Amino acid sequence: METAILKIPIRIIHEQELVIGPLAWDEARKVSGLNIDQSHDSVSFGGDAKDIINRLVAQYERIFGKASHAVCHDAVKDLIAEMSPEEIPSSLK
Amino acid sequence: MANNDDKNPITPGEYKNITEKMYAQNLELARLYKQVDNLNKQRESLVYLVTHKVKGSFTHSKYIFAGILDGTFGAISPELQKMAEKGLESDNVGINTVDLVLNAANMQKGLIKYEMKRINFKDIILKTFSEKKIPAETKGLKIEKDIKEDDYYILGDSFWLNEAINNLIENSIKYTKEGKIAVGLEKKESKILLYVKDTGMGITEEDKKNLFTEGGRGKDSVKVNIDSTGYGLYSVKLIIEAHKGRVWAESEGVGKGSAFFVELPLAQ
Repeated sequence: METAILKIPIRIIHEQELVIGPLAWDEARKVSGLNIDQSHDSVSFGGDAKDIINRLVAQYERIFGKASHAVCHDAVKDLIAEMSPEEIPSSLK
Repeated sequence: MANNDDKNPITPGEYKNITEKMYAQNLELARLYKQVDNLNKQRESLVYLVTHKVKGSFTHSKYIFAGILDGTFGAISPELQKMAEKGLESDNVGINTVDLVLNAANMQKGLIKYEMKRINFKDIILKTFSEKKIPAETKGLKIEKDIKEDDYYILGDSFWLNEAINNLIENSIKYTKEGKIAVGLEKKESKILLYVKDTGMGITEEDKKNLFTEGGRGKDSVKVNIDSTGYGLYSVKLIIEAHKGRVWAESEGVGKGSAFFVELPLAQ
């Protein structure tokens, strides 16, 4: 399931990008522990993956409100459907 | 109303409200964009599926009719020959129609690769004019040309420009019951201007709005031309615009004829 959790931030950022444009990447870069390689469309985690994803979701929600939380959730619906409950970050449950 | 000057600064709460409202508006736009994008993709795949299947069927029966006519299946009666000729002609019309729709879809998606070369546009007009002279005269129409003596060099793809001009003249023939068709070519500063004028059914103001749009047909066009697809003039527009030109139509109304104009930049 390692791959699925790595896909989550990228999916979220892309979905947010559709709504707010490049700002989505700028906000994601502010999340500590989330290392983004935009040119390769990939991320790595410098810490607990679930915590970092929760912080990414919160980063968008802090500025753009609850609607942005729903966008994050919708973006990864199919990925979390394949994950066991304990692997899913609490913000996406 | 909140603004961000020194006298009336925006509070963090107001700022959050504004960003949340903007986000909600953008989200609605993004959703609409996704819906339109999905519909476009569905439409495209349907066009490809239908046109390829239909073209396959036409091509198949075309070769059966051709086989009947060339004696592959033995000697045939004059009645059968007549029917096979009609069948072959009908299949050719069908294949041309499918090609028209497919070409328009490919142009729209940018899948057509134009081979831009320095060409004399006059050659295309003369070639198309001579090809269309017989069908026009067979229909009892007078067809004339007025090409001012000059060079008309442009950067263009002969094949596709030929398709466009062929379409314009053919349209005039189809929609003109009697009278004449005039084809003219002249230079206007750094551009060339082609016109195809006819004494045909004319265009209403309402029809003018849809004339060059995808699937756009005149309200009564199918009464005159049952094979009207609404893709002919749309293709012309895409081809001419790919050559950095423009195409437009003028008409004083129903029964007063039409004039189609194509403007293209001269080669440097």
